[in-house]
Amino acid sequence: MINQKNVLIVLSSAFILGLIWWVVRVVPLENKHKFIPQVMLGERVDFNRDIRPIINNKCIACHGGVKRSGGFSLLFEEEALEVNESGERAIVPGNIKKSELIQRITHTDPEYRMPLEEEPLSDEEVALFSRWINQGAQWKDHWAYKAPEKPEVPEIDFKWVGNEIDHFIKAKLEEKQLSPNPISDKQSLLRRLSLDITGLPPSLEEMQDFLNDSSDNAYEKAVDSLLASPAYGERWAAMWMDLARYADSKGYEADRPREIWKYRDWLINAFNENIPYDQFVKAQLAGDLKSDATDQDFIATAFHRNTMNNDEGGTDNEEFRVAAVLDRVNATWTVLQGTTMECVQCHSHPYDPIRHEDYFRSMAFFNQSADADVPSESPVLITYKEDEDLEKLAQIKNWANENGDEGRKGKYYTQLLRLGVPKLYAHYFYQMDKGLPIQGTATFKVNEKVYAFTKALSFEGEDRLVFKARTNGDEGKITFRLDSINGAEIGTWKVKARFKKEFDEEENKEVTYYLNEVITLPIKPIKGKHDLYLVWEGKEEVEQTSTFEWLMLHHALPGGDKENYPEIEQAMYALFNSEKEKETTPVMVDLPANHQRISRVFEKGSWMVPGEEVDVGVPEIWNPFDKYEENRMGLAQWMFSEENPLTARVMVNRIWEQFFGRGIVSSLEDFGSQGFAPTHPELLDWLAIKFREDLKWDMKKLMKEIVMSATYRQSSHYTQEAKEKDPLNEWLARGPRLRLNAEQVRDQSLAVSGLLSKKMLGKSVMPEQPEGIWQVVYSGTKWETSKGDDKYRRALYTFWRRTSPYPSIISFDAPSREFCLPKRIATNTPLQALVTLNDPVYLDAAIALGRRVLKNESADVNTQLSLLYSLAMLRGISEEKLEDLKDVYHQTQTYFENSPEEICKLTGEEDKELAVLTVMANVVMNLDEFLMKS
Amino acid sequence: MSKRIDLTSEYQYRELQSRTRRHFIKQCTTGLGGIALGSLLGCGRSNSTNTQADIEAFVRKQVPHFAPSAKRIIYLHMAGAPSQLELFDYKPELAKLDGKDCPQSLLEGKKFAFIQGVPKMLGPQAEFSPRGNSGMMVSDNLPHFSSIVDDVTLIKTMHTDQFNHAPAQLLLQTGSPRLGRPSMGSWVTYGLGSENEDLPGFMVLVSGGNTPDAGKSVWGSGFLPSVYQGVQCRSEGDPVLYVSNPSGIDGNLRKQTIDAINQINEKEYKEFGDPETLTRISQYEMAYRMQTSVPEVMDIKDEPEYIHEMYGTEPGKTSFANNCLLARRLIEKGVRFVQLFDWGWDMHGVAEREALDTGLPIKCKPIDKAMTALVKDLKQRGLLDDTLVVWGGEFGRTPMQENRGGKEWPFKGRDHHTEAFPVWMAGGGVKGGFTLGETDEIGYYGIQDKVHVHDLQATILHLMGMDHEKFTYFAQGRDFRLTDVSGKVVSKVIA
Repeated sequence: MINQKNVLIVLSSAFILGLIWWVVRVVPLENKHKFIPQVMLGERVDFNRDIRPIINNKCIACHGGVKRSGGFSLLFEEEALEVNESGERAIVPGNIKKSELIQRITHTDPEYRMPLEEEPLSDEEVALFSRWINQGAQWKDHWAYKAPEKPEVPEIDFKWVGNEIDHFIKAKLEEKQLSPNPISDKQSLLRRLSLDITGLPPSLEEMQDFLNDSSDNAYEKAVDSLLASPAYGERWAAMWMDLARYADSKGYEADRPREIWKYRDWLINAFNENIPYDQFVKAQLAGDLKSDATDQDFIATAFHRNTMNNDEGGTDNEEFRVAAVLDRVNATWTVLQGTTMECVQCHSHPYDPIRHEDYFRSMAFFNQSADADVPSESPVLITYKEDEDLEKLAQIKNWANENGDEGRKGKYYTQLLRLGVPKLYAHYFYQMDKGLPIQGTATFKVNEKVYAFTKALSFEGEDRLVFKARTNGDEGKITFRLDSINGAEIGTWKVKARFKKEFDEEENKEVTYYLNEVITLPIKPIKGKHDLYLVWEGKEEVEQTSTFEWLMLHHALPGGDKENYPEIEQAMYALFNSEKEKETTPVMVDLPANHQRISRVFEKGSWMVPGEEVDVGVPEIWNPFDKYEENRMGLAQWMFSEENPLTARVMVNRIWEQFFGRGIVSSLEDFGSQGFAPTHPELLDWLAIKFREDLKWDMKKLMKEIVMSATYRQSSHYTQEAKEKDPLNEWLARGPRLRLNAEQVRDQSLAVSGLLSKKMLGKSVMPEQPEGIWQVVYSGTKWETSKGDDKYRRALYTFWRRTSPYPSIISFDAPSREFCLPKRIATNTPLQALVTLNDPVYLDAAIALGRRVLKNESADVNTQLSLLYSLAMLRGISEEKLEDLKDVYHQTQTYFENSPEEICKLTGEEDKELAVLTVMANVVMNLDEFLMKS
Repeated sequence: MSKRIDLTSEYQYRELQSRTRRHFIKQCTTGLGGIALGSLLGCGRSNSTNTQADIEAFVRKQVPHFAPSAKRIIYLHMAGAPSQLELFDYKPELAKLDGKDCPQSLLEGKKFAFIQGVPKMLGPQAEFSPRGNSGMMVSDNLPHFSSIVDDVTLIKTMHTDQFNHAPAQLLLQTGSPRLGRPSMGSWVTYGLGSENEDLPGFMVLVSGGNTPDAGKSVWGSGFLPSVYQGVQCRSEGDPVLYVSNPSGIDGNLRKQTIDAINQINEKEYKEFGDPETLTRISQYEMAYRMQTSVPEVMDIKDEPEYIHEMYGTEPGKTSFANNCLLARRLIEKGVRFVQLFDWGWDMHGVAEREALDTGLPIKCKPIDKAMTALVKDLKQRGLLDDTLVVWGGEFGRTPMQENRGGKEWPFKGRDHHTEAFPVWMAGGGVKGGFTLGETDEIGYYGIQDKVHVHDLQATILHLMGMDHEKFTYFAQGRDFRLTDVSGKVVSKVIA
């Protein structure tokens, strides 16, 4: 029996449902989603999870930051909702009927159907888009652009767990149906820990202490002691040097040496002193702008003076100055914010909501630095080394402190001498030659026929002009005039040559060399903008030319009426011209207000096509910049604001990657929507907030947190299960098993053989390198092998020449450091095998390790080989491996018995036993397990 | 519910513990005799896998986008940029302008490396004649080359964006004027792999006394894995760095030691199951094979006399001729990309050896002979059909005489010039006896069929069977390709 009432209910419900369906699908009403019950709109679509990947894969190439086909872009929400060239709106929230996007992705005519000339979207993708629009087309910011919020620590009850990190990891493992490995054996664990924290294997004594220590906190004690070791600073400085693109040469054609090792030393000390990360970054980005900036603060800013400098003849200094500034922008965003700003140099970001102008707003932060691609690399911080110079500097400082007014005290004059900013470089000048203005290069000249000028120079009442010049005669004078060659004279230099005579053996005669001199002149103090002309005046027809490198305006020392003023002035002149040994480090110093540059957008990224003027700023999608100072310091402070979504995440991810070989976000350099999604988003945020809030940016504590986890301490063997389900170890069901990095490969061999020098800091060294590696054009610089201990320093002290890097380091995937490299990719090549088999450095290590074995007087082969293995691997050898070693031991013995003449060739000594053990050491130091940390 | 989870995890944990303990016992050390230090170290390893997997090949071969006409490349890069006006671009009109002031129209808005003010025009410093059946105009500086013009495509209208050596070399070899991108050879070996498991797929030979201005970056792998970087072969010392055993260790002993290393590594693999260990085993085997194959292929002593005669080679010397012969030998062994650099073509005319009338003929002599011999030799061995030979500099030289420092120099030289320069190609599917493009009367601008550096790269990739727009690598947040964002295949040169 059919119940009529029920029929009625069914029918009317069907009608109501039908009506709603009709409203949803057909009625052309906007924002319908607001009136319709959620259940009717289907399962919730998440923009970041469901829609953005489709947009990025299928749409954004034509409708994004690079192209805006049909005037339609999906990069920003407001753009996506605009009316397009066709007059239609692609996305009408709550209404798929009106949304042109849905019409076009489902169109039957291939000329209209999107994506054009590509496979159509799948039914599933179309359904997602439809549901998303019906649900109101809610746009969401990319996860990494929202500040992290502290997540709940998942509850896990499992004995393996060491700290909170493991809760997050284990929760994921359960989800993936994987089980973790047990804690690693003590030997592997300490070796892994020591290599990770200090870059060196533990010493035998350290290993023994650890094995003997059965207390509950034995591991924690080892962690603490390794973090306190000075080797810690060296290991982490080496990591940061890739990011800072540290090198001991300038790059480009001649690739001449650069003295910047004090920055490397600053890094080592900063890590060892455990400067909190915020201070660490602020010093490097803007140490010079601190009100009480110390020498160390200035040296820290060399982070951004590691950009390349082009000394090639005929290059445009401004082009390469700009290239260096752009590199600073890219490195800053890559290293500190995990953002690929490079894309935005030429156009709006193709995938992330960053606008073209944003790049140049970033650039404006770095555009005021006084450096200008000149060969001297000025500004450099001069550190005088000789007592005489240091005394003079102190005298001047005291004098100015006693006699100077506010702003003209000791600091002004020490900075004038030690930094010398702002210099007017030769390429700011034009030399007028036969009616044609020719731009200066490294120098500009003035002579009888040629005068020089620079435009619109800002004067602020300075009464002194100092310049560096060279001249080859004593005739006449050069006058400094305002606005024309006949303009008002503000100063005069009575030209006088400085020279030395030397006997030239080849030419068999005395040759005169004319020398540069820094000259200081009193000038008439004036204010305002003027062109400055340099004109030679004297009797005609003199073959004499003066060549200028730079000029600088400044204020004379105060106290001119005092009795010993000439003496103090003389001291200043002497310091300007001092040729005594001194150390120099290129540093960042901003130009004074009256010399500042105007920053502009470069159309399509070309510096030749400057566009609109821009102010400093950051992309809008992130926390606002309003409350910060408009300079590099402001930028640094902005990065460490609580609202900044990236700073902490990027750094914890970087440190995580150093321990596990893979970041939680595996694209360390790209947290944007084209980067990889985090495997453990909650853990990333938890660590980021922990780092910022609880640990107050303490890097050692962060590392301790990581290595104390059971996740880190797991053994690293592959289970069959993990091999199938997680070959890349994304979910961390096993501990890290990674190849040592380039520095560690070398340092470990030197360490276990006992050759490694403990000397820290100082100038870079030149360990043994094959002949003929340095054949760089236009540069006589030679590789001169360091003597004594310096041959066996840790790898980070090796002289790093960008165009010819140290070959064995490069073989193991170190970058050439031309640009910042956020992540090294570990490769596995035959050339690496050739290095550790045959490079003389590794042979030296093998001989030394052989000697270490011989010190123990046992001649028993089992004992010798076991010891050898233990010295290298810090564990006992298994029987099977010992058998293999014994086989090759006997073969080697036979070889040297048959060819005794080879013994001395190998080791330089007539000791067969040493020769055999050297070959054995060479074998052990080439084992997979030696080159890996397990 | 929670109780059950407890039990499960308890079980898992115990299971793991016992597995570990088993291995501790089974694997432990034989002891270290009486030595105090070692005996304490013990041995501890956990383990759980015993999979036997095959050892992977060195470089995975990748299928090209379409059938290639060239399988291998020899690229002869004349670093410093030879003058087209004394070699390939015949300009009788320029002779008439010799010594006259350069017209203002050619100077406006231009940048030169060294020319300042108003320079003088400089007529061709060589005689030209038509050569071969095709009648290609070639100067007397290249008498040998004149005999192979009918196997060659000459492009007279190459142009570039960069007027300094280092950036221009980088643009040509890596597609970008800045450092940090992979070189052409890296791209090609990344795409096509190596045909020989005993030698690297991309090898580099340098002559002329210096590496190119842009340093080793012109054969770097940029963001590609370092296994694709060019391996430089040297004529002095080790032919490949560290390929020779230390003195006192002979090949046989080396074999025994590598066998021992690999045996122990196999045990390591059984214990840990890390596929990287297998790769390492194969890399040590290849390193050993390279120790034999590299010195063998680099040793040209055994080549017959007529070959030495033909190339102008002298065993034991570093020369472009030796490198040409080596290039042929490497190609024969299946090396994918052989890159030669010859330094010393930067003829500004500030000294006699870099004057176009005196220095250039001397510089050309051995180069002409060797490059010609290379093409002929490849042809007689039937290798030219699928080997592409490319010759050229990074830019051209000005029709004006250089006046560095604004003064007239006693020697005849030309400055860097981006607007027109020649490249020739032979074999590998390009036309023979064919000239592409025409320049204006003084050789300043290309006026027909201009070919940008990116077009040349697109064409080379095309000949190798690859679509330059589809051949990309994802790095630094985006897809990169050799031709950056431009480049068109020059189909006119393809046979």
